[in-house]
Amino acid sequence: MTEEAKPGDETEARRGAGLERRSLLSLGIAGAAAASLATANGAKAQATGDSKLYAIKDRGRLIVGTGSTNPPWHFQDANGDLAGMDIDMARLLAKGLFDDPEAVEFVIQGSDARIPSLITDKVDIVVQWMTVTPGRAQQVEFTIPYYREGVGLMLLADSQYADFAALRAAGSTITVGGMQNVFLEDWIRKALPEARIDAYDSPDATIQALNARRVDATLSDQSAIRWMMQQAPGRFADSGYGWLPNSYASAVKPGDPTWLNWVNTVYKEAMMGVDFDLFAASYKKWFGVDLEVPKVGFPGEFA
Amino acid sequence: MIDYHFDWTVITRNAGFLADALLLGLGLAVASLAIGCLIGLLAAYARLSRWRLLSGAVWIYVELIRCIPLLLLIFFLYFGLPELGVRFLDKFETFVAALSIYAGAYMCEVFRAGLESIPRQYVEASKAIGLRPWQRQRYVVLPVMFRITLPSISNNLISLFKDTSLAAAIAVPELTFAARQINANTFRVMEAWLTASALYLLTAYAIAIALRQVERRYAAIR
Repeated sequence: MTEEAKPGDETEARRGAGLERRSLLSLGIAGAAAASLATANGAKAQATGDSKLYAIKDRGRLIVGTGSTNPPWHFQDANGDLAGMDIDMARLLAKGLFDDPEAVEFVIQGSDARIPSLITDKVDIVVQWMTVTPGRAQQVEFTIPYYREGVGLMLLADSQYADFAALRAAGSTITVGGMQNVFLEDWIRKALPEARIDAYDSPDATIQALNARRVDATLSDQSAIRWMMQQAPGRFADSGYGWLPNSYASAVKPGDPTWLNWVNTVYKEAMMGVDFDLFAASYKKWFGVDLEVPKVGFPGEFA
Repeated sequence: MIDYHFDWTVITRNAGFLADALLLGLGLAVASLAIGCLIGLLAAYARLSRWRLLSGAVWIYVELIRCIPLLLLIFFLYFGLPELGVRFLDKFETFVAALSIYAGAYMCEVFRAGLESIPRQYVEASKAIGLRPWQRQRYVVLPVMFRITLPSISNNLISLFKDTSLAAAIAVPELTFAARQINANTFRVMEAWLTASALYLLTAYAIAIALRQVERRYAAIR
């Protein structure tokens, strides 16, 4: 996959194009490429005035990389408009920048484009249920996380198994459904070592297997369980046990502390400060959970 | 040539898994054909019955099933029936039931044609030598009918064996499911599907050859 230099090509442009193509092929290679790019660009010191923050202000709109197929994070609602928790976080940033939550241009991309699109400056920030990992953190800079994801077990509300303890006690008499996936068995066995496992080829078949009581529980992301419970009130229940924690955060191109710090400030104050009501409303809308008002009268460290 | 490096070790490592899956598919096909033939035979007699209600009911069954994709029938039995309170079939039984009902409709038409093609003289001759109605069926009509319809039965068995690939949709670990699992685990898509294709092809061809031998021996029309 090496790029052959063509005579007359402008070196920087060629390197940039090659970088993008390679990045789309492999995140690992993207990491190496990012490192080399960071060295090239990072040589000149970042002056505050050069920050993306001001370029965005001048441009008049924020460009956000996200997806469109994963409720409740980023998906098209009944009107065809983008909606979800990620979308709300992006609009919160636009509100902070321009006092206009609509001043966002969404660039729809697949999950494999999240890092490449940042490195090649296609987007200002990625807000796309991005799991924080040490490997990725060497290629992009993460903001503070706004959600801790994990997996859980969804039951029918009138299931004979009331909760996780009941499922576990049932041993090998229960069947757990999930999407056919390389980790499915490992993930389920971690919590329910003896359960039988049925793998389905789509999320809808998995849910319908639960509806039809073909399986006693399904393995899902915690957020997806909450979303399903929100969509069909009274039909589903959470087993109450979650495992495999991972943090969702936004990511920005490395080397711009001013921009990163501004986003962090907005996120922090959404969760703990002036924009708490907006954050809590989104949270309630997408996950059906009422967040407790942060304890007032103390510094955050004491609450 | 395509620029792809084949790694057949994923297949050798999963050989046992694939073999089990293939045998399961064959078992499902044979069980379904056996039940399907029984349904088909009874339905064919019912279809030719003088009772209009009975033959009408079978006509509806045959046309309904022949005009519905097998996958939808499987989905209905697997996902739909439990919602209507029918819960006693597991995924394997559900699939055999679906394939049997499906096969029964096709076999009904095969047997009906076979029964109708038996020359009048055979039946009249058997009456003449004093055979009772059930003896006429047992010793004259059925043996001739089976010999006439043997090629169609073979066709249906091969077709049903290939239809077992749809069982993957309801988590039955047959060959297609196994290939998809290897894909999910290793991303060796080419190797997995090429192997599955070869196994389907060889097995279906082996069934065809075996049945050809049976036809050579027993078929009425040479």
